[in-house]
Amino acid sequence: MARMKFLCDADRCIECNGCVTACKNANDVPWGVNRRRVVTLNDGLPGEKSISVACMHCTDAPCAAVCPTDCFYTTTDGIVLHDKDLCIGCGYCFYACPFGAPQFPTTEAFGVRGKMDKCTFCAGGPDEPGTASEYEKYGANRIAEGKLPACAEMCATKALLAGDGDLVADIYRQRTMTRDTRPQTWGWAKAYGAGA
Amino acid sequence: MIARRLLTAASAIALAVALTGCYEDPDVTVYEPGVYKGKDDPLLAKLEDPEFRAQLDQRFDGQRDR
Repeated sequence: MARMKFLCDADRCIECNGCVTACKNANDVPWGVNRRRVVTLNDGLPGEKSISVACMHCTDAPCAAVCPTDCFYTTTDGIVLHDKDLCIGCGYCFYACPFGAPQFPTTEAFGVRGKMDKCTFCAGGPDEPGTASEYEKYGANRIAEGKLPACAEMCATKALLAGDGDLVADIYRQRTMTRDTRPQTWGWAKAYGAGA
Repeated sequence: MIARRLLTAASAIALAVALTGCYEDPDVTVYEPGVYKGKDDPLLAKLEDPEFRAQLDQRFDGQRDR
């Protein structure tokens, strides 16, 4: 079975926030909630780096460990999801998460928090895939449609990779091996073959 | 002399009692995740389908550089 992970290539991310916009658009994320955000280090200085951060779908998810209503579950693909019908919006998961992934929409006056909302890897929730109730609570279920998460699908520079950890690591390894090298149009592989 | 011994013994007992409160339990409390109490996710059954799985894997593999 796969173990779904995100990986953001900091050398490719151009801080366009396309992933954030794609996420908001695909999942109809309410105002004030950011399932995904782009963080820039040394902003404005030479050599600044940006990475796109959302729920990392931890293997040993601390949010699930602290949840008093046990509303978290992990799919066979390692995607961490939760049941909003059980969530009481207590915010324990927000304290436990090292990435600030759990978000709480303001539903009423005086800052009353709603049920927790976070990145679902575009895998919806424990409702029938493709139904209106699922979309309203959790957003799109693109995985059930055989698609990538919207953020990774829309990334213009393919900085944001999503998928099985082994596949993502393999893609990144191939990139780093050829990065900053000369074009191989007339290189070694062309002259002697890829296996030489 | 007796009073001095009594005072020393009382002081020793008081010190022992006072230091008992300084003990710190070195064991860390580890909380295990509870058992999920929500509804079953129909997606899990769909992910078991080999045909759907292959389609999904092919889509994910399309992220490689051309």
